[in-house]
Amino acid sequence: MLRALFEAVANQPSSVAIRESVYGYPTLLTAHVLGMCLFGGLIAMMDLRLAGLGNLSTSCTDLQKRLFPWQMIGVAVSFSTGIALVYSDPMRFYGNFFFWLKNLLLLLALVNAVIFHQTTYRSVTTWDRDPAPPFGARLAGFLSLGLWVAIIVTGRMIAYSGLVPAWWVALKLS
Amino acid sequence: MSFLPFFKWMEQLSISHTIQSGAWYNPILQVTHLSALALFAGAMLVVDLRLLGQGLTNRPLAQVSRDAHPWLISGFVVLILTGIPQLLALSMKEYYSDFFWWKMEGLIVATIFTFTIRRKASLADEAALGPYRGKIVALVSIVLWTGVTIGARLIGLLS
Repeated sequence: MLRALFEAVANQPSSVAIRESVYGYPTLLTAHVLGMCLFGGLIAMMDLRLAGLGNLSTSCTDLQKRLFPWQMIGVAVSFSTGIALVYSDPMRFYGNFFFWLKNLLLLLALVNAVIFHQTTYRSVTTWDRDPAPPFGARLAGFLSLGLWVAIIVTGRMIAYSGLVPAWWVALKLS
Repeated sequence: MSFLPFFKWMEQLSISHTIQSGAWYNPILQVTHLSALALFAGAMLVVDLRLLGQGLTNRPLAQVSRDAHPWLISGFVVLILTGIPQLLALSMKEYYSDFFWWKMEGLIVATIFTFTIRRKASLADEAALGPYRGKIVALVSIVLWTGVTIGARLIGLLS
């Protein structure tokens, strides 16, 4: 069913048009990287604070609230160009191990952020300025740093469809 | 002056052959390079935004800059350390890529600018900067490093 959806998208005239244009893919991928710099970079600045590793003279809520609008601009660019990249050549991604792993990691990063906001972050007023935030905050910070690095890594590795586990190849998806 | 002999010399080094011969060397260098780029960009942007009067505006400029500095340097060092072996492994491709030279020229200008004019402005007393100087420095910084990133990404795509 998923395969049929990806194949249907691949046959859309607009998908074919981007796929066959010389500058479509390079433009989208370059914009995707620039969006990543804004989003990933500013997420890292916040995570380092939560982990107790850096930006310690600024309170957690300051970093959280004041960087948020810029992170959203970054994520809007990365997300829209990411969708467009898949839209332009869905069958390149359908059977790609690193593409699906990246999506799983994105989901985990989202879950980590939601759990943190629903639990430890509720008491932020009591530890906002502490150089060493409570365990829950440090854990969320380290997990987020690790997950976003893994997302960048798996994103780049999509280009290396040959370097995947043998069991994945045995699935014969592509 | 031609850099061609230098690039040919890099191409024949045994380390260049080693990097090219292992399937995993190049991807490992690339993913580390890209992760370091995100860290570098974050440390750069948090200060550039502050210079533009955005982001961490309730903190003193010099404080934001001092906090970001170790991450800027860490990111920069990893970018250089993972960039050089990539250049060694693909030196002739890079030599004949217009985007490589665009990136390198931009990189030299951006690096000098970052560690001189931008460094001085980001540690300055804000009152002394006046209403425009900080903003101009931030915009030049963003434009230069965006240009370097675009050139870098296009080496592999349009060369």
